[in-house]
Amino acid sequence: MKILALSDTLAPYREFSRIGFINILAFRLRYYTGIITYLINVTVYYFIWTAVYGPALKTSGGTIAGYDLGQMLTYVSVGWIIRSFYWNTIDQEMAYEVLEGKIAMELIKPVSVQGMWLARAVGESAFRLILLTAPAAAIIALIFPVHAPASAAHFVLFLAATAGSFLLMGAISFLIGTCAVPLQSILSLIRAKYWLIELLSGLLIPIAFFPAPLRAVSRWLPFEHIAYTPLQIYLGKLTPSESLLGVAISWAWVAVLLWAGHLWWKRALTKITIHGG
Amino acid sequence: MASEPLISVCELSKQFRTYRRREGLWGGIQNLFHREHQYVTAVDRVSFSIQRGEMVGYIGPNGAGKSTTIKMLTGILVPSSGEIVVNNFVPWRQRTAYVKTIGVVFGQRTQLWWDIAVIESFKLLRRIYDVSQRDFDERMETFNQILGIRDYLHTPVRKLSLGERMRCDLAAALLHNPPLLFLDEPTIGLDVVAKDHIRHFLRAINRQFQTTVLLTTHDLDDIEELCRRLLIIDRGRVLYDGPLALLKQKLLRIKQIKFAVRDSEQAVRLASLSREGLELDRVDELTFRIRFDRVKFSTADLIRQILASAEVRDLLIEDEPIEEIIKRIYAGGALLEVSA
Repeated sequence: MKILALSDTLAPYREFSRIGFINILAFRLRYYTGIITYLINVTVYYFIWTAVYGPALKTSGGTIAGYDLGQMLTYVSVGWIIRSFYWNTIDQEMAYEVLEGKIAMELIKPVSVQGMWLARAVGESAFRLILLTAPAAAIIALIFPVHAPASAAHFVLFLAATAGSFLLMGAISFLIGTCAVPLQSILSLIRAKYWLIELLSGLLIPIAFFPAPLRAVSRWLPFEHIAYTPLQIYLGKLTPSESLLGVAISWAWVAVLLWAGHLWWKRALTKITIHGG
Repeated sequence: MASEPLISVCELSKQFRTYRRREGLWGGIQNLFHREHQYVTAVDRVSFSIQRGEMVGYIGPNGAGKSTTIKMLTGILVPSSGEIVVNNFVPWRQRTAYVKTIGVVFGQRTQLWWDIAVIESFKLLRRIYDVSQRDFDERMETFNQILGIRDYLHTPVRKLSLGERMRCDLAAALLHNPPLLFLDEPTIGLDVVAKDHIRHFLRAINRQFQTTVLLTTHDLDDIEELCRRLLIIDRGRVLYDGPLALLKQKLLRIKQIKFAVRDSEQAVRLASLSREGLELDRVDELTFRIRFDRVKFSTADLIRQILASAEVRDLLIEDEPIEEIIKRIYAGGALLEVSA
């Protein structure tokens, strides 16, 4: 009975996911170009890291911060593949809706606004998984020397961590998007978030390459669980029990950030002004 | 016996904080560090109540506070002070439970998804309002009969005309058969036929389901055709709350008589008609118009005099259009006459 009640509660959000999916279908062309963009990114990093490892191959047994070239290229490839899945544009869409006053139309619906945005992002990510992540993964795996996951257990944990990445991104985007209510224009904030996450998630450079003080700070922030943790798990740099802990911390951050978003949105609503009409 | 009102609003106010921007380069730099703000009162101690089944027109000039009131009534905006109870809910405090019991249409916006077929939005609304498939089909049939929306259910919203979109938005707002409907300028920008459709539809649902309707509008035909009761608001204050008929009776003071005479010689004789408080205009060669205060002059006497002084071919008596009354109210002063 309880499960039935839960499924009733979730029914409207499933609809939002469905709408998110169909909505993005209206722009499918954008996704064909998306695959090419991701390919170019991986190619660029392939050459950069090959060049970086050139001297290391001769001197230090071919590893930098514990990564050999093969692991590094796998890291970059899988990193960009999962990025195509966990990425979302909740903050941009919220900023637009607040600025245009369209947010009023969300508030007249009998659903949690946070839940609605997340559900839409789920639909979009499901779409991207099929049309962007899967083909990009296939092509990248064909072209570049990508290692298989460390073990079956590692792979399952990697998937759980990647689901966490998606939710982390969703929760963070919602927090940023909510800033549009008091600030109106948050374009610069969105841009700052973009670079901050590219860097601190470990997508551009593994956290292991960071100087020690920065590594210490990063451990207490949620960002490294977006890319670094799932990739560490994939490569088998963490034991299964360490991986499980990593996944648990990632999901704990999800809970904290979703709760923070919920409170921040509730507070922002008391200050909302809606323009036009 | 007066029953409990469906909407009761008491001393409702809303202030917005706005920032004054200093001008020029130096002002711009100052703005970075310190912004001066000021409060603007959009709604100022407004009180009214609305009974179940009423259709009320909420009117006022641009920026009077109409939309702000509607947004507070629909749970979108939080009031600065005062109380709202609608259908036993405090809208902003119990938003998700409350909005299940209302329908909302903002004429300038749509709640439908822009890039996908209308029917997909309807399916979503069916689920979030938990409407059974049977009720859904039945209501879609009813809406289709009056609004004729079936033909474009499979078209993306962005490809619809404004009138078509508006019909779909109305249907969307009423899919869950709410007892209360808020409409913010529902006929804005529509052509005569579309306006007529929508008015017809609103009358029908009011009659059939006793749906209570509160609508803001600048279209006075909307008011004449839909609302027995008017709430007039300006600068955030309620200026008038009462029946449309009473407003007309008290404020319709100017009448006009238009008439045509047989030939231009007759025109000379009409000079004898003009006197204090009566305007005589020559519209063209043979047509004249008299505007007069119906309190000071008797219509019957005037007609008698006109007929006596000239050979009249055609004659028409008209009331002042409702626009004129509203204009006088907005300009101020006119309502002193009604306050009784």
